[in-house]
Amino acid sequence: MHNCREVKERLTELILEGRSDSELAAELNPCAECRAEFDGVNATLRTTTRVRETAIPADSYWPGYHARLRDKLSHVQVRRRKENTGASFAPLRLCVNFLLRPVPVPLAAASVVFALLGLLAFQSTRKPAAPQSVVVQVPVTVPVVQEKLVTRVVYRDRYLPSRNSKRTGADLRAENTFAKSQMPRPDDVPTLAGFKPAADVKLTVIKGGTPNER
Amino acid sequence: MADDIELIKRAQAEDIDAFCTLAERYARRIHLLASHYCRNQQDAEDLSQEVWLKAYQALQSFRFDSSFYTWLRRITINAFLNHRRSGFFRRQGQTTAVELMPLDSETLSESSLASPENIYNKLLFESVVQALSELTPSQRLAFLLRHYEGMSYEEIANAMNCSTGTVKKGVWRAITKLRARLSTESESQEALTSLANEY
Repeated sequence: MHNCREVKERLTELILEGRSDSELAAELNPCAECRAEFDGVNATLRTTTRVRETAIPADSYWPGYHARLRDKLSHVQVRRRKENTGASFAPLRLCVNFLLRPVPVPLAAASVVFALLGLLAFQSTRKPAAPQSVVVQVPVTVPVVQEKLVTRVVYRDRYLPSRNSKRTGADLRAENTFAKSQMPRPDDVPTLAGFKPAADVKLTVIKGGTPNER
Repeated sequence: MADDIELIKRAQAEDIDAFCTLAERYARRIHLLASHYCRNQQDAEDLSQEVWLKAYQALQSFRFDSSFYTWLRRITINAFLNHRRSGFFRRQGQTTAVELMPLDSETLSESSLASPENIYNKLLFESVVQALSELTPSQRLAFLLRHYEGMSYEEIANAMNCSTGTVKKGVWRAITKLRARLSTESESQEALTSLANEY
């Protein structure tokens, strides 16, 4: 059953898909209106095909066209080589460009504040890393301080006779004699003669009468 | 003469001469599409040369799994559509009158171009371009790819990232426009033909 509307919708496909004449005749012959439509569309497409070659410029146009194209290609090639040469510095250049880019003051201030807050938050959450103990044996020379304690005991009579004392002179001589007898003889007095101190000498001088008094 | 594959390999090694030889082989086909897509010769040259520059920059990605022209046509379609998006044609104005190709003395000195038939064809071509300029860029491109390049609707839809129905509708609309334009101007073209004969 011939359907004009359907045929008109498929008219372009019928023409452009290169259907054979018999197929087209089967579709179009029954209806004069469809045939006229087909002829109109077909003539339009034939006209566009005929004038298509007109769009191509004359032969004299092409040498200039290719010379201009070659010039543009040379520029592209030079630019590409420059880019390849500078490719190794690209990350550094990006960083520098990013840092040197002008930024509005409020935005910069906000960025700094956020960076500080982030740093503080990071510091507060970060656990101190356990130090890794490494045993290293290093010979160390420790100077030993040689210490020699020289002690001299001096006895002193604390209880002097009072004015009202009834001690006699004989008593006093006797006490002095006893004290003298307790004193070391000149041969027994320790001296530092012959003592060879070490490099570091520590002298402790004990003075005073009470044991804890130095 | 070196075949395409050899030229492509040399061009991939940054041999500009080899690439220019490739361009000389296919430049007319690309320029034909561009001259139908644009509305003056300068735009057509700029657009076709942009296609070649893009092809040169992308040549390293050519894997020899299709013909060079198939690959180049894909780049052409993308370049045309990107030009449409960048407003390349909007700055020309969609309703301005089509610019007639210059019929200067140099052009007319070539006997083949100066023939009345050729002048008539040029006038017809201007009418075709005028009719196509009234379409959307997608419809115009769909018609060119279907009618001049012989691509299937599915191939066009895939290349233009749209549905097959959209492509069919665009082609039909282009033919309707062309038919209306060419029929209404047939009388004036006959008058121009007679004028061309006198010229």
